[in-house]
Amino acid sequence: MSGFLEGLRCSECVDWGEKRNTIASIAAGVLFFTGWWIIIDAAVIYPTMEDFNHSYHACGVIATIAFLMINAVSNGQVRGDSYSEGCLGQTGARIWLFIGFMLAFGSLIASMWILFGGYVAKEKAIVYPGIAVFFQNAFIFFGELREEDLWANFMSSSERQKYK
Amino acid sequence: MGWKSHGWRQARDDKAFVLGQYGAIGLTFLMLGCALEDYGVYWPLFVLIFHAISPIPHFIAKRVTYDSDATSSACRELAYFFTTGIVVSAFGFPVILARVAVIKWGACGLVLAGNAVIFLTIQGFFLVFGREDDFGWDRW
Repeated sequence: MSGFLEGLRCSECVDWGEKRNTIASIAAGVLFFTGWWIIIDAAVIYPTMEDFNHSYHACGVIATIAFLMINAVSNGQVRGDSYSEGCLGQTGARIWLFIGFMLAFGSLIASMWILFGGYVAKEKAIVYPGIAVFFQNAFIFFGELREEDLWANFMSSSERQKYK
Repeated sequence: MGWKSHGWRQARDDKAFVLGQYGAIGLTFLMLGCALEDYGVYWPLFVLIFHAISPIPHFIAKRVTYDSDATSSACRELAYFFTTGIVVSAFGFPVILARVAVIKWGACGLVLAGNAVIFLTIQGFFLVFGREDDFGWDRW
């Protein structure tokens, strides 16, 4: 029973080889830039502060910083088996990735808070800016989850054995 | 059409001619979207900037990784990411212009169609001319 999820792993994805990375980076690009164009759209349509408080842009900016932080670290640096150690070493890479994920989750939760606290709870007539902030951050977040390997490598190698 | 009776260079010139025709069709769509009497607004011409910069990440990645082996794919992935972003921006910009009623939706549709054709043409250029092994800068 404990091993029934083994078969559901995306094992056939690995056979794509080079194509998988290409498709993953293209998908990440589409999601990230679509998110930003959604918020640009909302900012252009509602330029006043009472319809769309423009300080809500900070959420998307932090999400972008988190995106850059997470994608700056390669799998090899977190696992510790790349040829060059990088500036920070393996532990530094893990801390960097940890802070990146914290910022990513934080901005996703903040976007939900903005939508529900700033627009739905106040029963504003114009809800679209709140939805736009939420979708921007959701798209950026899903663009970050490029490889499930990154999650697995975040844990230590001994813990990873349990999931094999 | 008898590609084999021509030399390989002639066949590539024919393909370049056909690609040029497609590019002209794409630009025609773009110009129609701006210049028809119903529309007459020339702001969508800014998507030409996106068209012009879309091959640049690919060339930068090719130049930077020219000396190293083919397994350094991080640079190539970054190039794909930015190229995708530029393509998405070229499609998003006319849509936003139409939503704010700077241009009409008909003009937006024409500009989007022109975008699609031009990006397919650019991709076609890369497929036709990117196959040679000796990609050297002296050809420019």
